[in-house]
Amino acid sequence: MQKDDIQTIRFALIICLICSMALAGVQGSLRGIQERNKQIDQQINVLKALSPDFAPDGTALTEEQIDLWFIQGKVPKDKIPAYFETYVSQDEVSLPKGKTSILYTLKKDDQVVSYAFPAEGKGLWSTVHSYIGLESDLATIRGITFFDHGETPGLGGECSKPWFQENFRGKKLWEDGEPLKFEIAKGKADPVTDHKVDGMSGATITGNGIQKFMNKTFQAYDQAVFEEKRAM
Amino acid sequence: MPAINKIVLDPLSDNNPITVQMLGICSALAVTAQLPTAFTMSIAVTLVLCGSNTIISLLRNVIPPKIRMIVQMVVIASLVILVDQCLKAFAYEISKQLSVFVGLIITNCIVMGRAEAFAMANPPKESFLDGLGNGLGYSAILIIVAFVRELLGAGSLFGKQVLPDSYPGNGLMVIAPGAFVIIGLLIWLQRSITKKYEEA
Repeated sequence: MQKDDIQTIRFALIICLICSMALAGVQGSLRGIQERNKQIDQQINVLKALSPDFAPDGTALTEEQIDLWFIQGKVPKDKIPAYFETYVSQDEVSLPKGKTSILYTLKKDDQVVSYAFPAEGKGLWSTVHSYIGLESDLATIRGITFFDHGETPGLGGECSKPWFQENFRGKKLWEDGEPLKFEIAKGKADPVTDHKVDGMSGATITGNGIQKFMNKTFQAYDQAVFEEKRAM
Repeated sequence: MPAINKIVLDPLSDNNPITVQMLGICSALAVTAQLPTAFTMSIAVTLVLCGSNTIISLLRNVIPPKIRMIVQMVVIASLVILVDQCLKAFAYEISKQLSVFVGLIITNCIVMGRAEAFAMANPPKESFLDGLGNGLGYSAILIIVAFVRELLGAGSLFGKQVLPDSYPGNGLMVIAPGAFVIIGLLIWLQRSITKKYEEA
């Protein structure tokens, strides 16, 4: 081996060593903050579904405060984990076909305010994730959030916009003893019913996907836990 | 040795990395639907460019010629990962929107191109300024494109509604082809002002 080659190898080794040590150091020292960011992000999503109107002290918020809390995220984010811990309980539930998932319950003074559960499924390009929040009657949608998707911005991507999610509030997933077939319209909902919402124009496939996984997941939860809870 | 202000100012217009050198088009399409993402991406790319140019320039006399490309890659990749980690820690929302495009700065031709073309042959100070100039040139185009796309696509700037609610939003601007159109128009505008045309 020539002297040149040995020097080349030595240089490569040194550079790699320095770079990897620097990166390991940075990664190690930032991991804590990053994981906390992730946790807060997930908790905000659950909270948006559980209750767009719930304040830390349990009183109703004004529109402006809701916006501050949940949409612009201007409220000190570091308070969210503590809030979450105080008011939200998480239970593991077993769904049909051997799956397990989580049911979040928001409680105030030991009274159930709302429930939320994760639901996800295919849109057009990607998996759309969501949390669906229900009133304590387990039938009416209290809040909903769609996130972590790769749908076309401006078309299917509108699903993560407030106007689309507002659509769902007060709509029914369950009536007269059985789950309803919830629908997302193509364009404007016509006629307007309590189980049909305006769709996103130009995003029929995303809408259909969301509709499908909402119905499917609600039915699974209905069978597994909600029926029993209603009977109590 | 080119004059210092020429190093910084040249890439802003006469030798702009996007509109003249036609580099970095991919990310210019991907992150310019809104101003905040374009802004963050601009800062990230400029930081990486300055950093990589400076480091490569410092090492230029000891880098073995046989593996110089690989060494450049290692330095650039390390800086990009560093920036990505910092964004995840301190600007989580924006890093989620930029998603994979921060990592793809590694493959942004501007970064590698400046390392190979300039930093390997010039001292650190000039290399740093070259990185800064090219970073700013890239940023200028990104921000102009994002300004037009966000304004016409969503009727807003930095997420704040500026056009009346009745403005319907231009769907073309929101998707990537809208950026092609704007970059094309920018190139046209720039060339008709500077009168510098490609030789056919």
